[in-house]
Amino acid sequence: MTRGLTILSLAVLLLCAVCGAGRADESAAQRRELFREGARLWPIYCAQCHNARPGSEFAAYQWNSIMMHMRTQANLPAKNARAILEYLKASH
Amino acid sequence: MKKRALAATWAASLLLLATLMAPGVVRADDTAELQQIKREIEQVRTDEQREERAHEKLIEQLEQKINSLENQSQQLQKANEELRVTSQKAQAQTSQQIQDIHDQLGSGISSSDFSQAFQNYLGEHQFTLTGGVAGSYIYDHHTSTNTFAMDFEPIILYHLNDWILFEGSVEANLPAGSSAEFALPVATAQIFLNDYLEVVGGIFDQPFGDFYEDQSPFWVNRFVTAPLPYGPEALIPPTDIGVQLRGGVQWGQLGQDVDYTAWVANGPGFDSSLSQPVVGQTLNEVNNIALNTNSKAFGARFRIYPLPLDSPLGRLELGASTLDGNWQNSLSYNAWGVDFAYLKGNLQARGEYLEMYRQMPSASPDNRQGWYVQVGYFLNGLPMPWLPAKAQDILQKFEPLVRYSGVNQRAIVTNEIATQPEIGFSGSPAVFTPHAREVALGLDYWLAPSIVWQNEVDFELPEAGGSAITVTAGMPPGVAPVGATANDVAFLSQLAIGF
Repeated sequence: MTRGLTILSLAVLLLCAVCGAGRADESAAQRRELFREGARLWPIYCAQCHNARPGSEFAAYQWNSIMMHMRTQANLPAKNARAILEYLKASH
Repeated sequence: MKKRALAATWAASLLLLATLMAPGVVRADDTAELQQIKREIEQVRTDEQREERAHEKLIEQLEQKINSLENQSQQLQKANEELRVTSQKAQAQTSQQIQDIHDQLGSGISSSDFSQAFQNYLGEHQFTLTGGVAGSYIYDHHTSTNTFAMDFEPIILYHLNDWILFEGSVEANLPAGSSAEFALPVATAQIFLNDYLEVVGGIFDQPFGDFYEDQSPFWVNRFVTAPLPYGPEALIPPTDIGVQLRGGVQWGQLGQDVDYTAWVANGPGFDSSLSQPVVGQTLNEVNNIALNTNSKAFGARFRIYPLPLDSPLGRLELGASTLDGNWQNSLSYNAWGVDFAYLKGNLQARGEYLEMYRQMPSASPDNRQGWYVQVGYFLNGLPMPWLPAKAQDILQKFEPLVRYSGVNQRAIVTNEIATQPEIGFSGSPAVFTPHAREVALGLDYWLAPSIVWQNEVDFELPEAGGSAITVTAGMPPGVAPVGATANDVAFLSQLAIGF
């Protein structure tokens, strides 16, 4: 059964890879919307595992790396990870 | 000139009049003289007319000069006015520019501009240092041990570009009674192929359950110790080396997500210091690149968040994991688990249940089960009006916690019982009983979002049952039943910093 689950997982992954598309750069309006969404997501998503750390703790360029790391650790949806990053960098 | 002409005209007129009034005096020579006078008069007139024309011409020339001068004067005045206006504009512009410069100097460069400029200066390739450090005091009643220990675990992130990140974690541990130990628990390349798929390759925390990946950092784990299924007698190997595919997607409203991780790795290995495999043998903590088998282990994990972000019911996470492979050629290892996490306001709770099945060369398999559930409540924001403000400030930084965890396994190996305390482990031998149970009470004091002073009292309450196996080289394993085991209590206090 577990092997079947693994095969199912791989099938889902392949589907994701086929359907996946690179993102385009956000416009200013999209970035404002991301900021608003990030402000809502930040306290909840971070607190899922640990206290939410304020944007002032790291430089904006460091948040780029840290949010990539957190996207991996928590499997965050890419758009939501970008929204939180936008919020953290803007509230720096 | 005009006066002279006028005088001459008058003289000629008087002469002519006198001539005409002389009665009866008309002679030939008079006539000639008269003619002469007429000619003279004519000459005078001619001269006068010439002079007049000359004068008129001169006057006309002078008037032209005057007009010309007047035009020049007007042009000069106009030019002068234009210069004055231009000068005023230039002065105004200069003043504005100076004012703008003053304003810019006064207000300073904006944060976003500076950030962008600094990022441009740094370039795309960037190193970021993060991680954690912890210093502990550990006391165990049964072994009468009390000691200090510390651990330093920096994480180095190397940002190659927006879709490739390298991560390395170095652990420097100073266990009691020993010199420093170093390890490389994590070293991965993370490649983000698109919004839904990421490839991770290297040595990674086992993505099974929530603990190893998400709860194990010092300052993230609300307790000093790990719950029993992830402690010294873990059911799942903490790290592995291989390749992961992972990603997440929002399936409903904001906050309703689902994510997956699938991986292939070298697989679990069991304590290789023993001369023969036995039931209850502990897992190797870190799997190195030496292959255990000629096959690979496969793992998968799914997680779903069924509630929207703004749900009044809070935030719920449900997960399921599996890990399957061989621990030796033709001897399988299978594990599965389910987990949950719940967050609502200051309340947070999480728990897991997991099972492991290990095929043994003998008929009897090595089955193990483990579980834990924990609840904590952050006092932040809790109204305490009967207390002074200062006392409220202090109390509201506390988070009381409770955790119950247990492990069931058919046997433990006496050779592997380690009572040397270290970061995250009290050294209590009660943890190594086949039916270990533990109640942990915690009291965390949050100095900052990632700086916490943690205090924990562990009540070890092992249940009777199972076997204790002793392995001696060249001898068959000695097996003895485990009866009632004395309870134990331990206290751990730790300052944990996430940086």
